[in-house]
Amino acid sequence: MKRSEKLAYLSLASVLCALAGAGAASAADKYVVGVSNTLIGNGWREEMICSIKAQAEASGIVSKVVVANRNGGPAEQIADLRNLISAGVNAIIVNPSDREALNPVIKQAATKGIVVVAVDQAVSAPEAYVLTNDQVAYGKVGATWLFEHLKGKGNVVEMRGIDGVPADADRHQGFTEALKNYPDIKVVASTFTGWALNKGAQQMKDLLASGKEIDGVWTSGIDSVVVDAFKTAQKSYVPVVGADNNGFVGQLINLKGDGFSGAAVTNPPSVGGAGLAVALDVLQKKDHPHLIKITPEVWDNTTDANLENLKKVYDAKLDPFYSIDFEVKPYTTYTMPQILACKGP
Amino acid sequence: MTAAPGKSRASERNGGASDASAPPEADQRPSIAARLHRFMRRNPALVGMPALLVLVLAVTILVHPEFGAFDLQSLALGALPLAMAAAAQTVVVLSGGIDLSIGSLMAVSNVLAASTMQHASYQEALLLAVLILIAGAVQGALNGLIVVLSRIPDVVVTLTTGFIWGGVALLILEKPGGGAPEGFLNLATGTLCTDWLCSAWVPNALILLVTSVLLVWLPVRRTRIGLLIYAIGSDRIAAFRSGVNVELTRILAYVFGGLFSAIGGLALTMTTGIGAPLAGTYYTLSGLAAIVIGGVSLTGGRGGMLGPVIAALLLTLIPTDLIYLDIDPNYGQVIQGTLIVLVVMIGGFAAFLQSRK
Repeated sequence: MKRSEKLAYLSLASVLCALAGAGAASAADKYVVGVSNTLIGNGWREEMICSIKAQAEASGIVSKVVVANRNGGPAEQIADLRNLISAGVNAIIVNPSDREALNPVIKQAATKGIVVVAVDQAVSAPEAYVLTNDQVAYGKVGATWLFEHLKGKGNVVEMRGIDGVPADADRHQGFTEALKNYPDIKVVASTFTGWALNKGAQQMKDLLASGKEIDGVWTSGIDSVVVDAFKTAQKSYVPVVGADNNGFVGQLINLKGDGFSGAAVTNPPSVGGAGLAVALDVLQKKDHPHLIKITPEVWDNTTDANLENLKKVYDAKLDPFYSIDFEVKPYTTYTMPQILACKGP
Repeated sequence: MTAAPGKSRASERNGGASDASAPPEADQRPSIAARLHRFMRRNPALVGMPALLVLVLAVTILVHPEFGAFDLQSLALGALPLAMAAAAQTVVVLSGGIDLSIGSLMAVSNVLAASTMQHASYQEALLLAVLILIAGAVQGALNGLIVVLSRIPDVVVTLTTGFIWGGVALLILEKPGGGAPEGFLNLATGTLCTDWLCSAWVPNALILLVTSVLLVWLPVRRTRIGLLIYAIGSDRIAAFRSGVNVELTRILAYVFGGLFSAIGGLALTMTTGIGAPLAGTYYTLSGLAAIVIGGVSLTGGRGGMLGPVIAALLLTLIPTDLIYLDIDPNYGQVIQGTLIVLVVMIGGFAAFLQSRK
């Protein structure tokens, strides 16, 4: 009797020990993550890398984030990816410079058991996980909000990004799809801002000076300077669709009293952090689909409730072009201070 | 070409600078040690660059002991296009010129290859490659012709033709795409495998690099053409007075520049498998950086081919080491710039010591 009791205790203790041991092992079992980016000095891309570092920190199971970051094309990115493979990373988050060119090296990574997640833009390699913002939807939901807000009638301006860039083409496609449903909306001007502030501002000033009747403006993210142009020209505000830039969101809040209405469409750079979350899940044998599209949200300032939401994310201390849509639910788990700190484990 | 430290070749390489000391050399037969010493002093790049490469490789292996065949291949693949850009610039700079259109020339042959080879067989791809090489030489000849005929400074001419060829690349292929047959890509991305020998340790990219430099440069260097290129780069007026056809030689230098650029463009096609109209952008300036590190004097007439090619390997190893060491990659630019300044300073210091002797 006593002996069996003793045995039971012993076995219980050994089970506990084993559990504790397993716990210790899994804590030591941390992952190294590689990041490959080929556009430096770009605010959105920097924020994307920060979100990866923040998610690595928040996850608690990443020991190191190795960043390969330089200006380059597919040839440079292939070299960087090969080096990351050699550096012994367990996962690679890549913002690809080309859809096809990286496929052989992604395949090599996959055969070594490395999980590759392409964020922001897609790759066609079947081994990779792809997590992108849905740019067609980006164009569509913003345009639909604008046309709805104009009650389906009026003159609008479409201010696009860079000609020939996939994201611009996709957004334009979404814009055009939305336009089909509103036969009384007329596009009176379409410009390419090149996603440059000064160019976008000048184009808006020229349009206002031209005397064209403008009832609404859709922009591909060069937003706050367009609103400023109305102020400079001393014209009354018309509805403007912009992106989730801090400055524009500030205008949505602060200029509401002056009769300004508008909507920010989200294009979160935190796809980077979300990509890491997916990679870590896959490393821990949790399944994800290979193609994940993040649907943009529309944040407008027309109702009090929406205005409250805008006030929650707006931070007057941040740069006007900081993308304040800092998380992608349900993937990212870090906090705003963590992404602002931009420090990995 | 560097294995033969012949006296006459050493003085050739130094152009006019060694003329004063050349006659006494012919009389006395100095000891091998003294000759070696003099060779090293005269050709700091030829001795220093391989030494520097060995050093950096040693550091790389130290920080990354797992350095293996895969990494050697990464190095060769990464360095191949840059080495070709550096080789192209070297020939032109040796002749006393400069070519700022190299990146665009590479882009043109890159997109030409990717757009024409997509559905080609291996043999057809090889034929197309030859045609693209000829096209590259013609483009280089055009550069040279405009420089010589217009008498506009070469910086301005090649900057302008660079924009033009960049535009042509966009016209051929407006966005990245195209392709090439697997066998053609394998010329760079594979490893040595013949009937009697297969080794993962010998990347095809390295073989391609060495053979294309040797095949183009050795015949030039060993014949009058090379001597003339060095001569006009060293002192154009003296060369002219000695009866050198300066204008034709200048054009020839641009032709070889165009040819190397075209090889670089083909290398981009082989390593990426696609054509990208903007892919050449980075190579004009990094090629220049490589030749400066490689000991080629930007004023012309001094330097060789080995230095720039090794410099291309070094410049490829730097980002690799930064990844292994997990250092903020933005330091890569700082390190590259520092390296250039240091090498130029050491070179200047060596020249200063030499002039005091």
